[in-house]
Amino acid sequence: MSSNVFGVSKRVSLTLAAASAALALAACGSSGGSTGSSAGAAGTPVRGGTLTFAINSDGTCLDPHQSPADVDGFFARSIVDSLVALSDDGTISPWLATSWTVSPDQKTYSFVLRDDVTFSNGEKFDGAAVKANLDHIVAPATKSQLAAGTIATYTGTTVKDPTHVEVHFSAPNSAFLPSLATAYLGIEAPSTLTKPPSELCSKIVGSGPFISSGGYVKGKGIDYVRNAKYNWAPKNAKHTGPAYLDTLSIRSLPEDSSRYGALTSGQIDAIASVPPVNVAQLKSTPGFRIQTAAAPGGNYNYYPNTAKGPFADVKVREAFRAGIDWATIVDKLYFGVFPPGKGPLSPATVGYDTSIESAYRYDAAKANQLLDQAGWTGRDAQGYRTKDGKRLTVVHPFLKQFAREQRDVVADQVQAAAKQIGIEVKTTNPEYTSYIKDVAAGNYDLIDFSWQRASPDALRTLFGSANIPKDGFGTNGSRLSDPALDKDFTDALGTTDLTKQAALYGDAQQRITSAAAVFPIYVFNYVLGSSTKVQGLRFEPQAFPLFYDAWTSK
Amino acid sequence: MTIALAADERRGGGRAASSARSIGLAVLRRVGYAVGVLWGAVTVTFAALHLKSGGIIDAIIGQAAVSPEIRAQIISDYALDKPWLVQYFDYLGHLLRGDLGHSYNQGMDVTTAIGDQLAPSFELMAAGVVLALVGAIVVALLTANRPRWIRGPFAFLEIVGVSVPAFWFAILLLTVFSFQLHWFPAIGSNSLRGLVLPAIALAVAPGGTLAQVLRDGLERALDEPFVTTARSRGIRETAVLVRHALRHALMPAITIAGWLAGAFLGGAIVIENVFSRQGLGTLTVGGLGRRDFPLVSGVALIAAAFYVVINLIIDAVYPLLDPRLRPAAPTTSGPANAAAASITSTTSPSVSATGADQKGDR
Repeated sequence: MSSNVFGVSKRVSLTLAAASAALALAACGSSGGSTGSSAGAAGTPVRGGTLTFAINSDGTCLDPHQSPADVDGFFARSIVDSLVALSDDGTISPWLATSWTVSPDQKTYSFVLRDDVTFSNGEKFDGAAVKANLDHIVAPATKSQLAAGTIATYTGTTVKDPTHVEVHFSAPNSAFLPSLATAYLGIEAPSTLTKPPSELCSKIVGSGPFISSGGYVKGKGIDYVRNAKYNWAPKNAKHTGPAYLDTLSIRSLPEDSSRYGALTSGQIDAIASVPPVNVAQLKSTPGFRIQTAAAPGGNYNYYPNTAKGPFADVKVREAFRAGIDWATIVDKLYFGVFPPGKGPLSPATVGYDTSIESAYRYDAAKANQLLDQAGWTGRDAQGYRTKDGKRLTVVHPFLKQFAREQRDVVADQVQAAAKQIGIEVKTTNPEYTSYIKDVAAGNYDLIDFSWQRASPDALRTLFGSANIPKDGFGTNGSRLSDPALDKDFTDALGTTDLTKQAALYGDAQQRITSAAAVFPIYVFNYVLGSSTKVQGLRFEPQAFPLFYDAWTSK
Repeated sequence: MTIALAADERRGGGRAASSARSIGLAVLRRVGYAVGVLWGAVTVTFAALHLKSGGIIDAIIGQAAVSPEIRAQIISDYALDKPWLVQYFDYLGHLLRGDLGHSYNQGMDVTTAIGDQLAPSFELMAAGVVLALVGAIVVALLTANRPRWIRGPFAFLEIVGVSVPAFWFAILLLTVFSFQLHWFPAIGSNSLRGLVLPAIALAVAPGGTLAQVLRDGLERALDEPFVTTARSRGIRETAVLVRHALRHALMPAITIAGWLAGAFLGGAIVIENVFSRQGLGTLTVGGLGRRDFPLVSGVALIAAAFYVVINLIIDAVYPLLDPRLRPAAPTTSGPANAAAASITSTTSPSVSATGADQKGDR
């Protein structure tokens, strides 16, 4: 659910250089594409020990009900538990709820809850706590910028008894359980939810494996101690009982070289976002290890405006897709750390359709042929194609100040490559609010962002006609409006059967590909570097490293 | 005798009253000036963030998918639907009551947000300023009018210090002294040891400028006839430098201190980032990008107050260094005054308090 458009954890760090921008935790990764060995498979876990972890972004508000930032969900994950847990393959496991059923009309979810769970402030977890949390998320006063949107059709919770609740929706929402599994819908101690939202921004209380009494301190990070009473780990965890680590510290180190140096000099145990240029070096350094996990959901993609301008012509879109050697640009820039995208979704997403990949191959001859067919046959003095005396120009508003992972370099190279096939890409660097305004009004030909999310429902977010930008930013950047596509999405929301979902989302990926409504750039990989004494760190499907099973050897 | 004493006291009292009045006026002028600067800072910030195209609400929500109800809630909570003039005066009203408002994006009160970051920022600035001052004075004293082989390398280093980006220099310090030698921590800004490298990185550029200005001033002062006189009286060279020439050389250095304060503020942002220190820098940059007016305005207020204080200090220091800038003081009113006056009387015609003020106001 990391809604991470520019990867920037929302309002967080636009620190000076793009360097910081960060995001690390951006939404990242699912072990679906995990290439790292399961670190920590070796040896018997040791209790005790401490772990200091450095990330490249800074939080905004610790309360996941309020904040949309990836980093905040990551901070909160160790403190709050969820009703259910999501696995890499898209299946749901019990956590605070031991079982659940969905009504035939898909509008009511009934949960059976554990009765042995207490929050770290001593409160007991029960049905009323579930209701208090869901109600808190959707309350306008909470001003939730992400969580509320994932349960937009929520109508209320009925508490049958302390261990039985029913959650009601006004429309089928098969993405509810995967959403419920994220930290954003995590369960906080009900008595704390009556506090003003600003207090929850620095301190939250949950039932999770770690407790943070000091809470989040801006510019510094967050410190946790183990919850010694913890005995309700999710079914997909590697062990039960309390966490292995005594204490856990997460520090914000936005500057890449500082973070990397702090790791290699032994000052911290593990870091997020190893700079791509350092990955090979760290791999070959004894005593260190790299773990990567591909983020599910939308890749970092470019989206053409299919509603107006040159890209309204599908031939021009196809030509742009075929005429630029995207894979080479990405491979050269990221040293293979981020693989090139080959479709609207990341391969780590459940329901990813490999059959569409061939459509995204580089073929300059085909591109030129398509442009000729589209009528862009003239050439002007600079070598750009023209039609009726008008140059083939596409405008690409690009927020340079938010650029991370050298996306500005990508933009420059795309511009140069497009010139080879006679297309002029005008990259502008607008101010943030005028960017939002232009996106809302459709005044662009090309926009870029990444949209990570653990479920293939990301496709609906990215290509559903309801999400075409109107009042403000919208996630359907290509402004695609296809009733057949919308029907796929609605049908998929109406079934919790993963096989049926896969067929529907597969069809959607085919349609999006034949409409040439996306130019995939790269798959975001969560690149975690650590000392080899850190064991058992693994990724949750959504993206974040999990510390519950982690331990450190002496 | 009693009568004489009483009369004396009366006279003293009268003098005290008149000087209190003039001091009172000067203080009042100062306060008025400070308030004006602070008001200007807030107003310019307000104009800069509100008169740009695009709604602040769009900057707050950004790319988040929020329902119309939540959008409306945010607008009403932050009164973004009111005319901007109303917002402006509302803000000033709150400010007068000491309320800096609620940050749009940080989920907390501005007072809290800034309060958390103020101390680390202040520590860094104070350490940087002290280091730059001490370093520059020592280097200037050691190298002024020295042979080329002493003076040259230092002058070169100063130029390097001024020209090398603080960012790069900070990384270099980290790499050598933290990552390689393990002398100082790269993280953990709360310890004194953690302050050393950031303070050096911050001090180097302004320190280089200061050292050049100081040496230039020293060398000019050493050419003055009064130095020859002092030497002819048999005063040692060190004493000539420290007691006589330095005082003259400090004047231009103090004058650029206001500009240097800006260099420190700007440099701190970079340094905080590289060393992952808590501080106002990152907070401000983040706030600016998202047009978080209450936060940015709060920081602007702090920065403006900082400038006001620096200028006050500069004004206070001028007369200490240059007796010509001191107000005429009566010669008989007390031991402390007498001491000050004895210096004054030896040098020059007095300059009024107002005169000193004006000098400081530029």
